[in-house]
Amino acid sequence: MLPQRMLVAALLLVPVPGAQGPQGTGDHGALVFIMGQEPASPVPTALQSSKANADISDLLFLRLARPGPGLSVADEKTFEPQLARSWRRRDSLTLVFELDPRAKWHDGTPVTARDVVWTFDRTRAPGADPQRALLLRYLASATAETDRRVVLTFRRAYSAQFFDATYHVQPLPAHLVDSIPIGRFAASQFVRQPVGNGPYRWVRREPGRLVELAADPAFFLGAPKLDRVVVLVARDPEAQINLLLDGTADAYEAIPPVWGPPRIPRNSPIRLLAAPSFSVAYLLFNQRAYGDRSKPHPVLSDPAVRRAVTLAIDRATLVRSTFGAYAQIAEAPVAGPQWTSSLVPKGPPFDPAAARALLRERGWADRDGDGTLDKDGVPLALRLNLPSTSAPRLTIAPQVQEQLRHVGIRIDIVRLDGPVWAERRNKGEFDIDFSSATLDPSPSGIVQSWTCAGRSGSNVGQYCNPAVDSLLDRAIYSTRRGDAEWRAAYAALQRDYPAVFLASSSSVFAIHSRFRGVTLRPESYYADIWRWSVDPARRIARDGGGARGR
Amino acid sequence: MIGSLADLLRRAWRHPSGRWGTLVLLLLALASLLLPPFLADPAAMPDVVAGATPPSAAHPFGTDPLNRDILARLVTGGRISLAIAGLAVLVSLTIGTLVGLAAGYAGGWIDALVMRLVDAALAVPRLFVLLLLLVVWERIPLGALILVLGTTGWFATSRLVRGEVLRLRREPFVEASAALGARPWRTIARHLLPNAAGPVLVAATLGVGDVILLEAGLSFLGLGVQLPTPSWGGMVLEARPLLVSAPWTALFPGGAIVATVLGVNLVGDALQAALDPRSA
Amino acid sequence: MTRWLVGRTAQAAATFAVAILLLFVLMRIAPGDPLSRLVGDRGFSAEEIAALKARFGLDQPLTAQFRTFLAGAFRGDLGVSIEHYPERVTGLLASRLPATLLLGGTVLLLNFTLGVWLGVRQAVRRGSRFDRWTTRLALAGYATPSFWLGLVLVAFLSLRWRLFPAGQMSDPLLTADAGALERALDLLHHLVLPAATLSLTSIALTMRHQRAALLAVFRQDYVTAARARGLPERRVLWNHAWRNTLMPMITLLGLWLPILVSGSVFVEAVFNWPGLGSLAASAIAARDYPVLLGTAMLVSGAVILGGLLADIGYALVDPRARPA
Repeated sequence: MLPQRMLVAALLLVPVPGAQGPQGTGDHGALVFIMGQEPASPVPTALQSSKANADISDLLFLRLARPGPGLSVADEKTFEPQLARSWRRRDSLTLVFELDPRAKWHDGTPVTARDVVWTFDRTRAPGADPQRALLLRYLASATAETDRRVVLTFRRAYSAQFFDATYHVQPLPAHLVDSIPIGRFAASQFVRQPVGNGPYRWVRREPGRLVELAADPAFFLGAPKLDRVVVLVARDPEAQINLLLDGTADAYEAIPPVWGPPRIPRNSPIRLLAAPSFSVAYLLFNQRAYGDRSKPHPVLSDPAVRRAVTLAIDRATLVRSTFGAYAQIAEAPVAGPQWTSSLVPKGPPFDPAAARALLRERGWADRDGDGTLDKDGVPLALRLNLPSTSAPRLTIAPQVQEQLRHVGIRIDIVRLDGPVWAERRNKGEFDIDFSSATLDPSPSGIVQSWTCAGRSGSNVGQYCNPAVDSLLDRAIYSTRRGDAEWRAAYAALQRDYPAVFLASSSSVFAIHSRFRGVTLRPESYYADIWRWSVDPARRIARDGGGARGR
Repeated sequence: MIGSLADLLRRAWRHPSGRWGTLVLLLLALASLLLPPFLADPAAMPDVVAGATPPSAAHPFGTDPLNRDILARLVTGGRISLAIAGLAVLVSLTIGTLVGLAAGYAGGWIDALVMRLVDAALAVPRLFVLLLLLVVWERIPLGALILVLGTTGWFATSRLVRGEVLRLRREPFVEASAALGARPWRTIARHLLPNAAGPVLVAATLGVGDVILLEAGLSFLGLGVQLPTPSWGGMVLEARPLLVSAPWTALFPGGAIVATVLGVNLVGDALQAALDPRSA
Repeated sequence: MTRWLVGRTAQAAATFAVAILLLFVLMRIAPGDPLSRLVGDRGFSAEEIAALKARFGLDQPLTAQFRTFLAGAFRGDLGVSIEHYPERVTGLLASRLPATLLLGGTVLLLNFTLGVWLGVRQAVRRGSRFDRWTTRLALAGYATPSFWLGLVLVAFLSLRWRLFPAGQMSDPLLTADAGALERALDLLHHLVLPAATLSLTSIALTMRHQRAALLAVFRQDYVTAARARGLPERRVLWNHAWRNTLMPMITLLGLWLPILVSGSVFVEAVFNWPGLGSLAASAIAARDYPVLLGTAMLVSGAVILGGLLADIGYALVDPRARPA
């Protein structure tokens, strides 16, 4: 048996105070929630892994199992059955999953071991999904022993092995997708009309406007209590709150922490919850030239400049002015709820004088008197990309610009719509990218964005230090808890200044008070909505079943 | 027909709109010239955590979400907005007048071709032309923004000037000077330009108002003046989330746009009335 | 008449062709490659990107590109949206057109009834306090940025006093069992604020034109003659004077459409009104060049068509208006 790894202290499943009545009967209800990005490809695997896509695909497609309350990623006994009814180990390298015979695709076909194996193979196929393939690199094989039995064999024994086996892959219906070539998957009919096996099935999408899902009454883990789910797409942060305030929508997960709450009137039926989240915000440095990965970045490839930028930014003020009490300063790509968050060493202080001295030492001086430092005739001007859909980032960026102006660094803010921002990020068309990553529950996900191997995937800054890689490898694949290894790896990463880590924040989640049994899973807030219900006495017209109040 | 330009201005001043408009513009101009030494640094964010604070003695118009002085930003932004509008209109006026003069004077197929092109250009709303250009041209420098605004605004002016030229060409005094053997450009310079100046002045004044609105709109869409340079449209955009909880953040920049454009339009209205007294 | 009609139509078609050429050139001279946005990790394979580039003809010389583009445009093929891939631009435009027509139509109706009536009253009571103050108010409205007015109306009328919805065109869940009446009322409820915003910021145009046109007509002999015949003032005003301003007012449509469309970009963006304007606004944010170009083409076509229809209407009523 692997040693048990213990986890986060915080209460991870958040119940709404006063909203946990007895489960309703004669269930009807509709949940309308708002998304800032369009879930254009709500299918796992091989697609842009935006949070919007993931939140929808988590309602459509189940995993084999999922971490239980407490999100103890290393203890397979605490996982909850999903598609797999049970599992056991043959040895430290081999896991056997028995699929639930009741599990069916929304077209009525049973979920089989073949579906699972096909999806594992497709995920790891070259060119399909490099990010997930990286996380599964120690998986040797996935095989179907019977129609209902899947065997996964690993090359290494390590503590988060079961998490890797269950978390990264959501099986797809092989009978519908196996004829679609990898290159044509994104534009396929399946992505436009996904057929899943989760509590909700796909109904329709109006591009730029909404996605509608309907409960699958035959869902094998229990019929969902809310029969309609509508996702409204509203890019504009303002429209998002307005839709909530005027009663059009019931829930929104990203109320701006400082400005948002005062805008909700006291007599409003909207309740606010602080929901733990795995998101970390940081200013990512591009190690390679803007839009050209064949050359090092003319300015930022110098670690001293990266350190100077970090020293010149007053992170405490940024975090406090933007997130209030809902965030702490992040010192590494680690989120508060992750178990390693207590192991991260303290980062650099706010010290603009030291930043100025450091830049002077490296030959940067304001020779032309325009207020911006220069060297060899090149001004120290950097482009900061950020998505215009993110209210916190919109308020942090001008502050960063102003703080860096004081040490002679010019920042040009480039505000972009979500998808365009993501594309530029992925193509390396930035000097500094204002990133906000939603991390996996397991700290091992760090390899995707911060190792040499991740450079073909989500390591868009192209940061690569083999010494850090091997330290991380030692920490992740240790068979023990590995505190010392994690500490060493984080410290080594910090010394390279690959980014200015800003904040690990909780979300301020808004929900209409007529919903009962509300629990939020930090890795996917809406994953449990099929268990939520509407107080029958407070149904409104769109809930169906006879409205009785507001 | 119309007397001198000075006469036109005098008649416009007698129109009540003209006096009101001039007064508003004068006040705004005085504010933007005299206030700056007394104002806070428009970029400074002392104690950001305090957020938007309501109007007070230290900040007569309050502070914005990043605790910057709104009055200081309004003044700085206003200078930039007015400079953009003025220069852009100057550019479009110059191009429009030259094209209109040339087309009207040349006549024939040149005139027909140019006017067809102008018709087509007028059919594409100016906003869309600007959107198409600015979307691809990110972080546009101020000079380029002025040029782009100027080069997309001359079509109507050229049509107007051409019309005036065609009308004036048939006037006896122009025909007389041509008959006396004067060179075409000399005739234009001596007779046509001063006579076309009235309508052009009206169009220019109204054009300034249009460009201020257009620039504010583009900045509101995040395409115009780039951060951290303050612009009125950009300030409205930044204040959007606080319209209910901190209304002053959005009301003052919006009010500044309305006051300025209204002032300009009132003057334009008065000029128009002075040009054609019977419609007043 | 027929010959004039054919000629005028051909002229409109030529104007449209030139407008398309202008837009095409604009797209090509703007710095940056619109199609580079397709690359990235949207799951496009190299072959898909190549196919898309071939559709836009980026591998051909400029003249051939224009021919391909024009041929596509004639077939109603404006390419594929980048933001809403793989939706076609024409499909998107078609799906967003009704909302814009509804909003624009409402505003036109408001301005050509209320605005006309106000203009008439102003001309009749020329120089009065009513004349001066309505003029000032209308000019103030005309000086107000529509996006700002929209925001202020939302802040107070929807968020503070909760009288109207803050955006969208309909309650998104009102589809299943709602009756036609309920749906119409819901639509109307959503329409009030955007229509009011757009109308308040533009009504000055119709008002001022109506006033000027009527004042010009008042000076005509036939009005004086009608008055001399002792006809009641009311009849003189509406049957003789106002009727003769009707046609010049209709020609205003050509001037009107571009203003309306530009205003709708902001108003629809502020109110999330699912029309062409918000499509354009989101295409700006998403750098969705094909959609932006398609919208611009459609709008230009509408403007030219509006001008043509106004001319035809004018010519039908008053044959003298036909230019030689």
